[in-house]
Amino acid sequence: MENILEVQNVSKHYTGHTALDNVSLSIPKGSIYGLLGPNGAGKTTLIRIINHITAPDSGRVLFEGHQLVENDVESIGYLPEERGLYKKMKVGDQAVFFAMLKGLSRKEATSRLKEWFEKFGILDWWNKKVEELSKGMAQKIQFIVTVLHKPKLLIFDEPFSGFDPINANLLKEEILSLHREGATVIFSTHNMASVEALCDEITLINNSHNILTGNVNEIRHRIGGNRTAFVVEGETGPIESEIKQMGLPVTIETIDSGDHRLLIKRGDSVTMRQLIEIVNSKAIIKSLEPALPSMEEIFIETVNQFNTISHVNE
Amino acid sequence: MSMSNKTFIIVRREYLERVKKKSFIITTILMPVLMLVLMCLPGLLMNVNISEARSIGVVDNSGVIAGGLQDNELAKYTRVDIAPDSMYSREDYDGFVIINSDILTNPSGVTLYTRDAGSMELERSLSENIANIIENERLKQLEKTDVKEVLESVRADVSMSTFRLTDGEASSGTSSIISYAIGIVMSVLLYMFLLMYGQMVMTSIIEEKNNRVLELVVTSVKPTQIMLGKIMGVGLVAVTQLALWTVIMLVLSASIIPLFFSPEIAAEVAAYNTGALDPAASSISIEGVQALSVIGNPWYIAGIFGYLFLFLVGGFLLYSAMYAAIGSSVDNIQDGSQLQSFVIIPLILGFIVSTTIAANPISSLATWLSIIPFTSPMVMMTRIPFGIPTWEIILSLVVLYLSFLGVVWFAAKVYRVGIFMHGKKPSLKQLIQWARYK
Repeated sequence: MENILEVQNVSKHYTGHTALDNVSLSIPKGSIYGLLGPNGAGKTTLIRIINHITAPDSGRVLFEGHQLVENDVESIGYLPEERGLYKKMKVGDQAVFFAMLKGLSRKEATSRLKEWFEKFGILDWWNKKVEELSKGMAQKIQFIVTVLHKPKLLIFDEPFSGFDPINANLLKEEILSLHREGATVIFSTHNMASVEALCDEITLINNSHNILTGNVNEIRHRIGGNRTAFVVEGETGPIESEIKQMGLPVTIETIDSGDHRLLIKRGDSVTMRQLIEIVNSKAIIKSLEPALPSMEEIFIETVNQFNTISHVNE
Repeated sequence: MSMSNKTFIIVRREYLERVKKKSFIITTILMPVLMLVLMCLPGLLMNVNISEARSIGVVDNSGVIAGGLQDNELAKYTRVDIAPDSMYSREDYDGFVIINSDILTNPSGVTLYTRDAGSMELERSLSENIANIIENERLKQLEKTDVKEVLESVRADVSMSTFRLTDGEASSGTSSIISYAIGIVMSVLLYMFLLMYGQMVMTSIIEEKNNRVLELVVTSVKPTQIMLGKIMGVGLVAVTQLALWTVIMLVLSASIIPLFFSPEIAAEVAAYNTGALDPAASSISIEGVQALSVIGNPWYIAGIFGYLFLFLVGGFLLYSAMYAAIGSSVDNIQDGSQLQSFVIIPLILGFIVSTTIAANPISSLATWLSIIPFTSPMVMMTRIPFGIPTWEIILSLVVLYLSFLGVVWFAAKVYRVGIFMHGKKPSLKQLIQWARYK
């Protein structure tokens, strides 16, 4: 698959700390890509480098196969996490201003904006001052000016924070529709539920390093380590002691029906058949299914693992 | 789209948002009127009186003073005969002066009571008035009545017409007092402009940084372009204001001011301009005629404003770039106060020094400070009305504009890092560190 964006060995240092340390990643054209990581990990710095706002100390960024240049930002739409508008300026004038900065002519900007305003049912805001709008209203304007110039690459930094569920959903539908029309989308977020629901690929950045990268399903299977969920009737004590004796991690919880749910990670040393036989011999199996870890679990586990290792190394 | 087009869009927004404001329109119209008043003031002050004459009751126990007191614009004197105690209840008088009976032998026997605050002018005029009467009375007692005429005939009033020697030819010039006044007005104007518009750049950058508009703007425009756009936009507002002021001043000075001249004074100004004025015959002081002649001369005003324009633009670019760097690096104006002192101190220094330099415009201190870019706009503009060599002015301008290039380069480096820094109040050392980032 062709990559719309390639980040190659990018590093960026500030006095006293390193924002990015030799980070590489590739974003396939047409994908929805998740850029994950704790606060202060370096995501925003990376996005600013992609947007040509700051320059990397070393490494390079390729956009559609060529070295990223100034004019490429006209093919990128970036909605920053922290964003504002000129309070005293009229909504329409302001939207035209931002659109013109993205290279649209005044005429083109106005006609496209009217279309979007109509779509969102906000045409009567055109002559209002921004300070009269609520936060959610202002965010809609910011979204519109981000996508108005029909960018090939859309970057959203925590796009859903601050939106009520209805508007968050409206926004999500609009983003997905732009994706269907061919745009590549990058989400930078902590919201793991939306990552699972939306993203094809992710990169997890922690402490200025890329610590996990790849396809979401593939990652969940790989990190999941053959975890299986059993629902059983009867005593679980004997099963637990036997499984633990074999050195496999197991968690047990009682569910609503009075039955028990066992999560067992069997690793490579034990086959599925052996595991089923052990459980079956001690209790009645009511159901069993593979239990993939959620992205949230993977996020926490991977970050903690990384932090422990780097702590030990220090 | 090219870089310059985007900068232009920023400039356009910055400019239009400001000139459409009511406050801009009002100050633009009111200031020229105020400036003309300021420029006229030193020359005209001596001829114009602003206080109202007070009515003063004279209790003259000597009988020689009251009849000789002359009414003037400060006071009207009426002889009254009342007991000292009843003074307080007589509200038809603004004050009383009590003359002792032995005033001719003891001139300090005068007491003045006034209802409101006394005025130095009134006291001086009254004592001169009484002194004259006493002198006359004493002369009478000497029985030499012609002494007064002798004294009159030997009195001399001196006032000077000044001319400047330029290229071996005496041209009608302005006296030092007029140059002084114009120089000070120019310096005040520059100080005000640089401070006001420089801080406007700073506060507006702080505001954009704080409400995070910048985060959105930088997604399409380079930080350096945003900063330059802001400086140029605000600078154009300053230039617009100055241009409007110049036009208003020219119109006022060419058409309206002469209307206020009495035909007599107008004739005197015309005579002065052709060098034919006899100072002794002038109805107002020679300085007053000179002031009116200068203000009524559009070419002179246009020349001064031309230089003012060049120094204003250069000074603004230099100072606003420094203000921009500070604005980008702090979260609020309070945090900026420490760094601001690096800008304000030279500005105030230039202003204060220019007031003393106006008294001695060719000292070596004056020359140096009018070349050093941080003080040159104000100091040079103070000196120009006195007439200084053109090469000095050109050198000063070249140094000013070159320094701007250096400062703006540094400011841009600080700005692109500063606008994303929140929380900590930075030191100058940190700003220099930021400027080193790639």
